[in-house]
Amino acid sequence: MLYRENGQFKTSYRADQAVFPIAQDRVAIAVLLVLAAVVVPLAAPEYLFRAILIPFLILSLAALGLNILVGYCGQISLGTGAFMAVGAYVAYNFQARIDGMPLIASLLLGGLGATVVGVLFGIPSLRIKGLYLAVATLAAQFFVDWAALRLKWVTNDSPSGSVGVAQLQLLGMPIESPVAKYLFCLGFVLVFALLAKNLVRGAVGREWMAIRDMDVAAAVIGIRPVYAKLSAFAVSSFIVGVAGALWGFIHLGTWEPAAFNIDRSFQLLFMVIIGGLGSIMGAFFGAAFIVVLPIVLDSLPYWFGIPIDTALASHLTYMIFGALIVFFLIVEPHGLARLWSIGKEKLRLWPFPH
Amino acid sequence: MKLKSLALAAAAAAAGAAALTTPAPAQAQAKEQFFPLLVYRTGPYAPNGTPWANGKLDYLKMVIARDGGIGGVKVAYEECETGYATDKGVECYERLKGKTNTFFDPQSTGITFALTDKAPGDKMPLMTLGYGLSASQDGYVFKWNFPYMGSYWTGADILIQHIGKKEGGLAKLKGKKITLVYHDSPFGKEPIPLLQERAKMHGFDLQLIPVTAPGVEQKAAWLQVRQSRPDYVLLWGWGVMNSTALKEAQATGYRATRCTACGGRAPSPTSRTSATAPRATTRSPSTRPGRASRSSRTS
Repeated sequence: MLYRENGQFKTSYRADQAVFPIAQDRVAIAVLLVLAAVVVPLAAPEYLFRAILIPFLILSLAALGLNILVGYCGQISLGTGAFMAVGAYVAYNFQARIDGMPLIASLLLGGLGATVVGVLFGIPSLRIKGLYLAVATLAAQFFVDWAALRLKWVTNDSPSGSVGVAQLQLLGMPIESPVAKYLFCLGFVLVFALLAKNLVRGAVGREWMAIRDMDVAAAVIGIRPVYAKLSAFAVSSFIVGVAGALWGFIHLGTWEPAAFNIDRSFQLLFMVIIGGLGSIMGAFFGAAFIVVLPIVLDSLPYWFGIPIDTALASHLTYMIFGALIVFFLIVEPHGLARLWSIGKEKLRLWPFPH
Repeated sequence: MKLKSLALAAAAAAAGAAALTTPAPAQAQAKEQFFPLLVYRTGPYAPNGTPWANGKLDYLKMVIARDGGIGGVKVAYEECETGYATDKGVECYERLKGKTNTFFDPQSTGITFALTDKAPGDKMPLMTLGYGLSASQDGYVFKWNFPYMGSYWTGADILIQHIGKKEGGLAKLKGKKITLVYHDSPFGKEPIPLLQERAKMHGFDLQLIPVTAPGVEQKAAWLQVRQSRPDYVLLWGWGVMNSTALKEAQATGYRATRCTACGGRAPSPTSRTSATAPRATTRSPSTRPGRASRSSRTS
């Protein structure tokens, strides 16, 4: 009843091609933005920022980047953690070696570094597909893990191999408090989400999707696979690299190579699959599911005052989490984003389904 | 073993009690003293983490049952499972720091590194008992880190001095070959600067052999050891790495009798204490550890 588009006539191409063509969606997004940018910073406790919101935002950015590659272009990647690491270490090197380097510049340069590495490891995708490509990107993971551990200059000769940044500033304002960090990440996520949404709606995105659906047919109708695949690798690893730099700089502050190990790659791949392949919204759903759910499951016994052994709680978390993943994949293999759009379809007809 | 982990816990609690009485006057009036317990009972390092966590927990329970608290102040505690993962540990710290201003004992080098940046902002003491950031011995720079019972540098220094004693003087180390087989992580790399400095001082040959974390695959490392035939092997492992190392060393025909200094970082917190306790140091500049650690710090 509330969610109905009757009477909303599009009189121009511009209106028809809007990101949110339905007025109710626009209102909902505006409310969400006000909530995220104004209400949450005023009301939320510190724990929520540091432990949930900031990791959620950064990982959804990374999942967004991966979704462009896996969901839109159909090139499966197990090297996401590596691209995040490249972003983080390149940004770190710029920040540490150049005095007075602006924060945003080093984060974006981190993204550029990840782009170069991403394209380099994307080259095999021109010849190999599917599982074999996954194994090739796995090489990126092991290579970067190795480089971060062994190449001294990567970690600026840190004896323990652990690096850190401190006193981050944006135009003279310190990014120290959890609220500032949260807003900083939120800004990045919003800009990149909008960019990604417009990219996948445009010509480039259509090329990616054509390659995903059938690469031979796409090549026949004049889409260059080299260009399409490598541009997907480039855009994806740029976003993932920026997310990695944010993860190191903003969330962890000090990190060791293990922060971007193979587990991180799998975690992001699960986010994309559970959230929904080929959906911007899905990246956010997936990140929320993977970041928030284990913490909630872990804290449940305390909330209800049930004394439970931490090891048991942690094992139970793994089991319930695994069971939920299996359940979701059986019930809705297209991910949470698909559930969301089914809900919206139903809501359109409600309360009079024909 | 139990006794020694109790000793460790006792030291932790004593340190906690000291924190209770000295720094913040607001704490003294609090009715309850909250101890956050960051533990790792899961993951590849659980064989180390579980007894350590049990020891601390048992000690707190004993204090509560026997004395009803510390100096009349009630004691409360909560465990948080980190799985030895840095991001999980940071989450635990954020979750529990609102409940306490006692201290945090992160029980992990990686988590200590990450929290070292956060602790000054929260004015939260970080106590590291024989582990953590070695450089944090310099209390002028690291105001909120309290490395008790020595650091990795202390541990490595003790090992070299022990070898020196066996050889009949540190001067006799000249020309000897010492190999460090280490866990390839910040934890394992911490002693390297000190050992390099010692190698320069005494003229022994230091060979570094990293073992990829968590350390279940070590065949190549021990073949390398056998090939280079060092006089001494320092094993700097943690968790499953140590038992694997002993098996691999045996399998490659490396005689355990030559591995005199095996267990530099031994498998359980018990031997950690015994390794570092004789030279337990505090943060005050006058009682810093061995000469070598100082020289490596200034270098």
